[in-house]
Amino acid sequence: FNGSLWPLYLLMDLFMDPYGERVKSMFYHAYNNYLENAFPYDELRPLTCDGQDTWGRYCADLRFSVLTLWILGNVSEFQRVVNVLQEGVDFDIDVNASVFETNIRVVGGLLSAHLLSKRAGVEVEAGWPCSGPLLRMAEEVARKLLPAFWTPTGMPYGTVNLLHGVNPGETPVTCTAGVGTFIVEFATLSHLTGDPVFEDVARKALKALWKNRSEIGLVGNHIDVAAAKWVAQDAGIGAGVDSYFEYLVKGAILLQDEELMSMFLKYNKAIRNYTKFDDWYLWVQMYKGTVSMPVFQSLEAYWPGLQSLIGDIDHAMRTFLNYYTVWKQFGGLPEFYNIPQGYTVEKREGYPLRPELIESAMYLYRATRNPTLLELGRDAVESIEKISKVDCGFATIKDLRDHRLDNRMESFFLAETVKYLYLLFDPDNFIHNNGSNFDVVLTPYGECILGAGGYIFNTEAHPIDPAALHCCRKRKEEQWEVEDLMREFYSLKRSKKFTFKQTLDQRDGETRIPLLSCSSQPFNSKLAVLGQVFLDNT
Amino acid sequence: RHIGPSASPVDRAKDVTMPAKLPVNFFSSGSPVTDFFQGQLDYAERIRQDSEVTFYFFYAPWCGQSITVREEIEQVARRLSDQVLFVAINCWWNQGKCRKQKHFFYFPVIYLYHRRFGPIEYKGPMNAAYIEKFVRRVMTPLLYISSRSKLLEFLSDYEPGVLGYFEFNASPQPPGYLTFFTSALHSLKKDYLGTIHFGVITNQQIAKEIPLTHSGSIYLHRHVNTSLIYPREVMNYTAENICKWALENREAFIHWLRPHGGKSLLLNNELKKGPALLLFIPFNPLAESYPLLDEITKVALEYNRCNKNQATEPAVPHLKETDSSPLESRMPDVHTPLAETFSITKYPCCNTVVLPQWYSISRTHNVCELCVNQTVGVKQSKVNLPQCNFLEIEAALDSFYLKEHTFFQVVSNTIECSNFLSYYSPFSYYTACCRTINRGLMSFISSEKTFFQTPKAAFSSHAKKCKVDTHSIPHIEDRNCLIPGSHIGGTNITGLSCRTNKTLNLYLLDSNLSWIYAERLGASQAIHTKEFAAIVDLQDEAHYIMDQNQALIKSTLGKVFSGAPITGG
Repeated sequence: FNGSLWPLYLLMDLFMDPYGERVKSMFYHAYNNYLENAFPYDELRPLTCDGQDTWGRYCADLRFSVLTLWILGNVSEFQRVVNVLQEGVDFDIDVNASVFETNIRVVGGLLSAHLLSKRAGVEVEAGWPCSGPLLRMAEEVARKLLPAFWTPTGMPYGTVNLLHGVNPGETPVTCTAGVGTFIVEFATLSHLTGDPVFEDVARKALKALWKNRSEIGLVGNHIDVAAAKWVAQDAGIGAGVDSYFEYLVKGAILLQDEELMSMFLKYNKAIRNYTKFDDWYLWVQMYKGTVSMPVFQSLEAYWPGLQSLIGDIDHAMRTFLNYYTVWKQFGGLPEFYNIPQGYTVEKREGYPLRPELIESAMYLYRATRNPTLLELGRDAVESIEKISKVDCGFATIKDLRDHRLDNRMESFFLAETVKYLYLLFDPDNFIHNNGSNFDVVLTPYGECILGAGGYIFNTEAHPIDPAALHCCRKRKEEQWEVEDLMREFYSLKRSKKFTFKQTLDQRDGETRIPLLSCSSQPFNSKLAVLGQVFLDNT
Repeated sequence: RHIGPSASPVDRAKDVTMPAKLPVNFFSSGSPVTDFFQGQLDYAERIRQDSEVTFYFFYAPWCGQSITVREEIEQVARRLSDQVLFVAINCWWNQGKCRKQKHFFYFPVIYLYHRRFGPIEYKGPMNAAYIEKFVRRVMTPLLYISSRSKLLEFLSDYEPGVLGYFEFNASPQPPGYLTFFTSALHSLKKDYLGTIHFGVITNQQIAKEIPLTHSGSIYLHRHVNTSLIYPREVMNYTAENICKWALENREAFIHWLRPHGGKSLLLNNELKKGPALLLFIPFNPLAESYPLLDEITKVALEYNRCNKNQATEPAVPHLKETDSSPLESRMPDVHTPLAETFSITKYPCCNTVVLPQWYSISRTHNVCELCVNQTVGVKQSKVNLPQCNFLEIEAALDSFYLKEHTFFQVVSNTIECSNFLSYYSPFSYYTACCRTINRGLMSFISSEKTFFQTPKAAFSSHAKKCKVDTHSIPHIEDRNCLIPGSHIGGTNITGLSCRTNKTLNLYLLDSNLSWIYAERLGASQAIHTKEFAAIVDLQDEAHYIMDQNQALIKSTLGKVFSGAPITGG
């Protein structure tokens, strides 16, 4: 680490250096144990030192962790794994698969590996990034998901059979996130392959959800995709809904799409009005707005990170600090935490080493350099090592009250938790590129800029290079636009606050703030570090 | 994100679980800290009975903060283990007694006991020096004032002091002494930084100096306001009440800010009170003396004296005039201090003027802050002028009068500012901000009148001062241009001028703990001394920093203060 980049803070210099290395060794402890004890099964069982299939022998851990490998700087192992992956998997199998999970893990993972493979030194074919074996695999898998979208509303079924399509008698009830978590992968796929069908179905599903929101602007967490009726009417930001909101924001940024952003901003307002209490977010009835469950869910901890993406650092930090107190109480986040009682909820006491709070810390640290966020990183490393490290890997904490362990190491631990933890401690990672360097590649459509930064993580922490979306279209104007942006960027030398707002069409001629620009931070934000928060200036 | 359980294979290994690992030593075996790593709270309680002062460190072995603080605790223990019992208890292990009896929301938790009194929870900064200081306070909650010089020393401290006088002729202890002793311990529960000092006098002669005559009387010393004697006839004489009384009536003209790191509105609440001068100094809680802090105290006292219109001395003035009554309110001494603190200018040259009494029937005054702003064509070297040219400000005033500004007609509570160009210099313009002040509220203005009766007299006195003062001016930079998103009301008003209705609140921050705030305000990392001063005005979204090359000493600080216009309240 470059010491001069860091604010001098009492304890930081004591623990900055070792922590990045400790995260690396955490990864290898888990990864090597997977290869030794579990490969080619999907998951490592850390207590019995063997493997199990949770995905139909897809070597899930190997696949999902491949990008972490690269972020940790292990290029040779990345290349080896990509080659293994390229040998191909037969997707013409009679298996029922979750449309949502298959998209975020398989399609997202393949797209990400495809886009990053050149940079990692993998030999790519002539048409890259508009063609390549991993892209073809992603497209093949995505096509197998398309039948799920053939519903009266355009909202997809939750499960599809990879060989036969949607099973007759399949339940039409699916969760909100299962409807609205496709745009990042599907739009990328459409832009790279030139086939608009993926982006179209993803957008149609998003619009159907938007149309079915309640009068007070909230959505429930399960819906009947055939009848467009809400089956579960609890509205919140966590389980069942989470990545829908996430993909509105990430889709808006990836596609520079104001419509998606304005949807999110309206939801954000309703969420703040009805579910936010004292910087916590509760669950409310979606039509009446009455509190139904005063509970904080571990999954909800992604929310501060998402807020940071729209520039709402202030609220993000305040909520983050609430969540952090729960971590300090247990050494992890229980699946459910009862806020008024200040304790775990029956049968929801586990912590399967989820990434969400660390993910938020990573985003917020990029935005604020607040040392408190590194402290969370420190606490996460210490907790995970002290509590869940066993001979054959890292075990899920079955119960945070007594730290009993379960015989699982979920694939998101290697794919997400370790990755975000490492990115939190590594300020110079290429992922944090702010556009100061980039690659130029020659595609069938001309020269194209890649790797300029601004990576969008899909909800499974697979980074997508947004610049690539402009490479494979025949429309020249779009390329010129990117080139203009880059030129503009260099003329505005050292201007960190560069946004894309200058080139957005100013059709109204009004002085309205562009939805996709980042608002400037309030004056007091410079002092909002180390736990200090400021109340809204009203 | 994960919306459902992944498919699980049907076999027995699925149900395999493992209990938490058995706890192990958290402190090394050679450590002066006794480590009950299995949470044996009952043993810990038992060994506490034999010790006068006990230090409990409740930790969770997985907790990053407990691990970080562990080294600090060992350091303190190595220095004090001959007088204090240091006990660490694993309060997480769910088979342990501690976990079963205590319910903590965070770790580590530090408790102190003085014999049976406790627990006193320590919530201060988690570093060895601060912790040691606090432990020492618990060991000796009362300072024994054995001589006149000790008394003077005690009273000159900038932090509030409470003194009790007890005659130790009676055996075993004078009545009320134990209550007083307990109140000193009690105060540490609320005041975990130990800002209120407690002292005890046993000698009648020394007690008379204050003066306290009756054994059992308790005295709260204050620098700016009148000191107080505990009203036994109104409040019950209990440890809680004495402590509460001291906390409520103590004076805080210097306020330490020590953000603890958890979610907090400390800065929000303090900075919303108005513009604040934040002074960052390295502070060692264990040091014998604090020369820099003494300087700051003097300046702060002077500043408060100006505002409150009271003569105050850091020490007790009537120790020299032995026959004066203790509770007599001190006579205001209006004339002397003003000359020093009022007419110091800074760049751009500014001066506060009270407009001549052309309408003396009025019960109000118009007070203006008049500034000369150098704008076009003036090189940066101008900034290095030690003082503003006296002629310049006189010309400005003339120019101001020539304009016959509307302020003379306006009686307004708001500040009105106007810029007007000098007729002889195309390179500078003047700014005048005026407001009306009720005479009754601001009594010091009446004294000011003698200085500013006519502008000539005012500025000549000022000019005289300029000659003596060869020190460079406080270089108060406006750094707002570097900070996106913030703005200053009108770029033409630079520095501290034209903020006439604002009093500065003074805050101290320990650079060793809070340097990050200094950096956020623009402190340079290149300079090695960790001293820094900044004025933060949350409402105006502006902040000003002092040149770090200037040492934080009395003369520069005085200027920073005077830079904050002291009119208005």
